[in-house]
Amino acid sequence: MRKIILSVLVLVLSLELAPGQGLYSPGSPKDDGRFAASTKQVNQFFRRFNAEESVDGSQRYYSGDALYRDRELRGKFISILFDNETSGISNELKREFMGEVLSEVMPQYINFHREGWFAEVSALFMYRGKRENVTLFLKIQPEGLGYEWVIDKVVFEPFKDIFSKPEGDAKGFLHPLSHELGFMNLRKAFQDSDTPEAFTPKEYQPDYLTLFLYEMKRGNIRFDNILDVKFHFFQINNWYFELNQFNRPGFNTGWLISNLVKLNTGDKETLLRYIYDQK
Amino acid sequence: MKKYLPLFLLLFFATTAVSVAQSDNISPARKQAIDSLALEKVKDLSKYISIIGSKETQFSEANRVMDRAEELFAPGAEMGVSSLNRKEIAYYKVRRYFERLMALNYDRVNITWYDIHYISDLERQPDGRYVGVVTVYQRFEGTSLESGLNYRDTTKKDITIYVEKKQTQIAGRTIEFWDVMLGDIRVTETSA
Repeated sequence: MRKIILSVLVLVLSLELAPGQGLYSPGSPKDDGRFAASTKQVNQFFRRFNAEESVDGSQRYYSGDALYRDRELRGKFISILFDNETSGISNELKREFMGEVLSEVMPQYINFHREGWFAEVSALFMYRGKRENVTLFLKIQPEGLGYEWVIDKVVFEPFKDIFSKPEGDAKGFLHPLSHELGFMNLRKAFQDSDTPEAFTPKEYQPDYLTLFLYEMKRGNIRFDNILDVKFHFFQINNWYFELNQFNRPGFNTGWLISNLVKLNTGDKETLLRYIYDQK
Repeated sequence: MKKYLPLFLLLFFATTAVSVAQSDNISPARKQAIDSLALEKVKDLSKYISIIGSKETQFSEANRVMDRAEELFAPGAEMGVSSLNRKEIAYYKVRRYFERLMALNYDRVNITWYDIHYISDLERQPDGRYVGVVTVYQRFEGTSLESGLNYRDTTKKDITIYVEKKQTQIAGRTIEFWDVMLGDIRVTETSA
């Protein structure tokens, strides 16, 4: 048995030491600090934002560890989590944001499982033989023994074009005594009009996700590819920020805050309508 | 001796893992042990990719290594590859990706891995398995002797890992251990 153990150890060691082959083999190229600085995963963005890992990312800090959510470390981390090359977020706004997030009295953290953040995915789908851009919004929800990402909303231009409710004189209607005629004039709404949505309530909003799934089940929509992914965060009180991935030379790369907005009353709803493109 | 090797390895992994695997919750210490195991699998994969890509590797040997590499993956795993010029993802089954790597038209290929990695937290899926992502960086250098052209790129590889508690019987005893399988890999060319 000893011979077997020895043989296996020799085999494993000889593979480990094969020059320039696997991870951490002799001859591995050295990172000049750029990859270490990069916020490599969204997970790392969460950890850095909350100061839940060491500076080099090799050690995860947990509640009880000396540096877990350390205010000074958080300050250093958050200051490198902004896109400093293209986004033009003013230093004053960053300072105000950091002041609130790092408050000594009531510091604020982001949480993977909590509501208030979601993904926006730009994708391509084939629709009736044509490649079409589709925007999907996904959110995290508890399911079974864990969590899952689910599609919450969809924006699809061909659907938006279909539903355009006429206004003013152009809008058809069912007159207020239609009931006395047993709604016989519904024929006009459904047969003679090409805008049946004119006969819906003011608050009517088409459910694009249901339509999208229906068309997919009918075989009219087929997935093609993913173009881009970004994230929207509303977890910090009275603040919104957008998270984008920056793949470029230098040290300010990876998942970074690309947009920062201080929210006043009502701004969140307006912003959400804008993001969902369902104004 | 060869026939004892798998049994030995199974015993080795089971006994080293059993001390850290007793419940469904993953404590920090257990997470660290799982990270080490995951990193071992990623190291194996990186080694296999370097061997498959190397022009000095014989065809039969490359095929044997591809078999070994495939064993690291959960069924149905895919590689999603994009470049700086092409944002769209090209999807390949793992085997197909290896075959394409082997067939690259260079006289000399050198694949090395940067001395850095990042391991995410583990999140539980609806089916109870845990999932995480390990990020590593690879440098590829291909040389064509005839044209004298050199191609070089650096890619970021985000590797899915699935972590599952399993049981095995050894000498009449039931031993629980955490197993790690690799899943889908996102390959992105970087500007480095």
